[in-house]
Amino acid sequence: MKTKASRETPNLSRRDFVRASAALGAAAWASGASRIYAAGSDKIRIGVIGCGGRGTYDTTNCLNAAQNVELVAMGDLFGDRLDRCRKQLTKELGQKVKVTDETCFTGWDAHKKVLACELDLVILTEPPQFRPSHLRAAIEAGKHVFAEKPVAVDPVGVRSVIETSALADQKNLTIVAGTQSRRLAHLIEGMKRIHNGDIGQIVGGQCVRIGGGMLTWSEETKVRQPAWSDMEWQLRRWLFLTWLSGDFITEMHIHNLDKMNWAMDAHPVQCVGLGGRQVRTGPEYGDVYDHFAVEYEYPNGVRVEYMGAQMDKVTDRQDGRVVGTKGRAYTDSGNFVIEGDKPFKYDGPSPSPVIKQHADQIAAIRNGERLNEGKRVAESTLTCIMGRMSAYTGRAMKWDWAMNASKLDLSPAKYEFGDLPPRPVAMPGQTPLI
Amino acid sequence: MKNRARKETSELSRRDFIKTSAALGAAAWATGTSRMYAAGSDKIRVGLIGCGGRGTHDTGNCLNAAENVELVAMGDLFKDRLDSSRARLSKSAAGKVKVTDETCFVGWDAHKKVLALPNVDLVVLTTAPHFRPIHFKAAVEAGKHVFMEKPVAVDPVGVRSVIESSALAETKNLTILAGTQMRRIAHLMAGIERIHNGDIGEIVGGQCVRIGDGMTTWGPRERQAGWTDMEWQLRRWLFMTWLSGDFITEMHVHNLDIIDWAMGSHPVQCMGMGGRQVRTGAEFGDAYDHFTVEYEYPNGVRVEYMGAQIDRVSDRCDQWIVGTKGRAYLDFANAIIEGDKPFKYDGQAWNPEIRQHADQIAAIREGKKLNEGKRVAESTLTCIMGRMSAYTGRAMKWDWAMNASKLDLRPPKYEFGDLPMPPVAMPGQTQLI
Repeated sequence: MKTKASRETPNLSRRDFVRASAALGAAAWASGASRIYAAGSDKIRIGVIGCGGRGTYDTTNCLNAAQNVELVAMGDLFGDRLDRCRKQLTKELGQKVKVTDETCFTGWDAHKKVLACELDLVILTEPPQFRPSHLRAAIEAGKHVFAEKPVAVDPVGVRSVIETSALADQKNLTIVAGTQSRRLAHLIEGMKRIHNGDIGQIVGGQCVRIGGGMLTWSEETKVRQPAWSDMEWQLRRWLFLTWLSGDFITEMHIHNLDKMNWAMDAHPVQCVGLGGRQVRTGPEYGDVYDHFAVEYEYPNGVRVEYMGAQMDKVTDRQDGRVVGTKGRAYTDSGNFVIEGDKPFKYDGPSPSPVIKQHADQIAAIRNGERLNEGKRVAESTLTCIMGRMSAYTGRAMKWDWAMNASKLDLSPAKYEFGDLPPRPVAMPGQTPLI
Repeated sequence: MKNRARKETSELSRRDFIKTSAALGAAAWATGTSRMYAAGSDKIRVGLIGCGGRGTHDTGNCLNAAENVELVAMGDLFKDRLDSSRARLSKSAAGKVKVTDETCFVGWDAHKKVLALPNVDLVVLTTAPHFRPIHFKAAVEAGKHVFMEKPVAVDPVGVRSVIESSALAETKNLTILAGTQMRRIAHLMAGIERIHNGDIGEIVGGQCVRIGDGMTTWGPRERQAGWTDMEWQLRRWLFMTWLSGDFITEMHVHNLDIIDWAMGSHPVQCMGMGGRQVRTGAEFGDAYDHFTVEYEYPNGVRVEYMGAQIDRVSDRCDQWIVGTKGRAYLDFANAIIEGDKPFKYDGQAWNPEIRQHADQIAAIREGKKLNEGKRVAESTLTCIMGRMSAYTGRAMKWDWAMNASKLDLRPPKYEFGDLPMPPVAMPGQTQLI
């Protein structure tokens, strides 16, 4: 599947380009792209900001998604993470990795230095806390952006991402979000049927993801090293710090909740959440919860219940279901099934969505097509964030309030290595709603 | 409303009795009851087992639900609780409280002594739910009619016992009434009747949400020096899972019973989550403070329950039943249907807590069958299986919980002494038994 996707784009020849550009029409070109690319051949130079596991993975996929894509700059807060990523990418991708010591940057301003380089596209894969500010800097610097999900950890960040996405439109820059499920063939086909009314009017749904305590994540940072400041310890354990990851409902389960928004073709209008930290309680697990349940209400009073947990040795679940007046649709990791008046079961091909997302973006850049998923992924991110905020505080809340009025901003007083007391674990009924 | 309910029963005159018994037909009478009552006049003598707040409340309602009902015996583990209950009832049901010092019993076998009195017709069982299966069995074996508060067990072993005792009650022509009072609320009766009539089409989903009230001011907060572990836990029974079944069972059985009622069925499987996030002090035992359970009913219909006992959160207490042609909203005061056949209950309301006793007294006097034992046992298990799933992190099927689970929360001995606090459940670690 991977090979199929990578073949698709390189084969886009000059002749295809002419056809494609004709199809786009004059209007698309009149608006102009910030840089005109010749079809399928012009080099795309990329930079990666955030050289962790996901950054390494996404960069690999991006470089393999089309011909003539090169990595020219890298940035990370930590030298050891950057070196490891560079070594692995060089080993696996050889000639496509054109970074030099001079285009590898570490420290708090590494992203600025990467963005100052001659490059077309940046991959943003730092902890989600940094996404709004890095996305803004990238768009202001005129770069196309591949941004991993989630794109923020708080409403202030979500609003920033939406503003920046509007700016990207003005500057004809593409933004692709790492909500890869949107490119899964079985979901695309299934969602089309839901939207066509094959299950009738939607009246409810469920979204369940339970299992995987992530206890073995980053074993090397489980024990705090003496030299690490509070800030460094938290950054290296970022997955478990709400201010950095948004908690797992945002950081990981955005995949699942994004599917519900997709199926409903809307974001929720209000929610009420419950949650807690029952098993994963050690200080190495920061302040995140290990389970959440949220009742989301979508337009027309349609309720979708989300249950999520990161716990080991429990009954694993990962499935979504949409219930209509004439049937219901069920999806799990590899299936899409509709029961009811118009039964359906997807049995077509399933190309890798993690390759396709990069191939789509590179093609859009080369063809000068609009491709901007910024607002959509910001809304999916806020869907998760409002669920977390409700669970943390015990307060029901409306989308409009979260989107427009909430002042929650989890950024620390200063971005510097030093003291940073761990934040208290949220207590419903006591943690204030901000 | 209360008055109306009282009148209904007390006005059941001898003439009404003749009509009623004629309507019942010969068959009903052929089976016979353990004791024949003349209509609406023969004295019903009540024994109370479990003299806490609820026992006092229920007994007061029972004594006031019909004429000629008297309290003749009381039993509790603790003398102080019995004395305060007796004093309160002597005021609220003055003249109907005929207990004497000789018919007041305390201690572990107080229930046996109440049940041994041959003149007791009906017992009110309002001990902590842990004791219900044991006391219920003893009461039925002793040939007493039973009013028992919900929930009726804290574990599947207890649920099975209650179902067996209910079957035995049937063979002995004893009435069994459960304190799931929502079943007698006028607006819910009317709303759910419409659901069952198909007014919202085919049911495809639902929600059951009860959030709020941490119960943090309930009961004695400080352990007294003289109290053994056992006494401390008994006096804080609400927060001990082995005694109360946890709040999903102890209190939210009201809400989940409404769902079972609306669905016309118990669930076939469930998956739960939960924890203890705020109410974490030792005085809150091992109970959780929040639960979420996805219940699956027949035909793949899912109903999600969210429950919490936490202070200063957004309060919720409502049920939704979603159908292909509309949806029904049900809470403790409203029944509203939106859709093809809209409905809003605006008829009479009456006090279900009086009515339940009036119904039972009438059934006893008329020799009618009235046995809610199995039904309340099933609603109880609905809650228990949700709790078991949340405690262990394991999905589970109704049939397994009902037939195969060996969970039995009884302590090694019923005696005042050492009793270590059970550990708080940890999903993924706590064993599914």
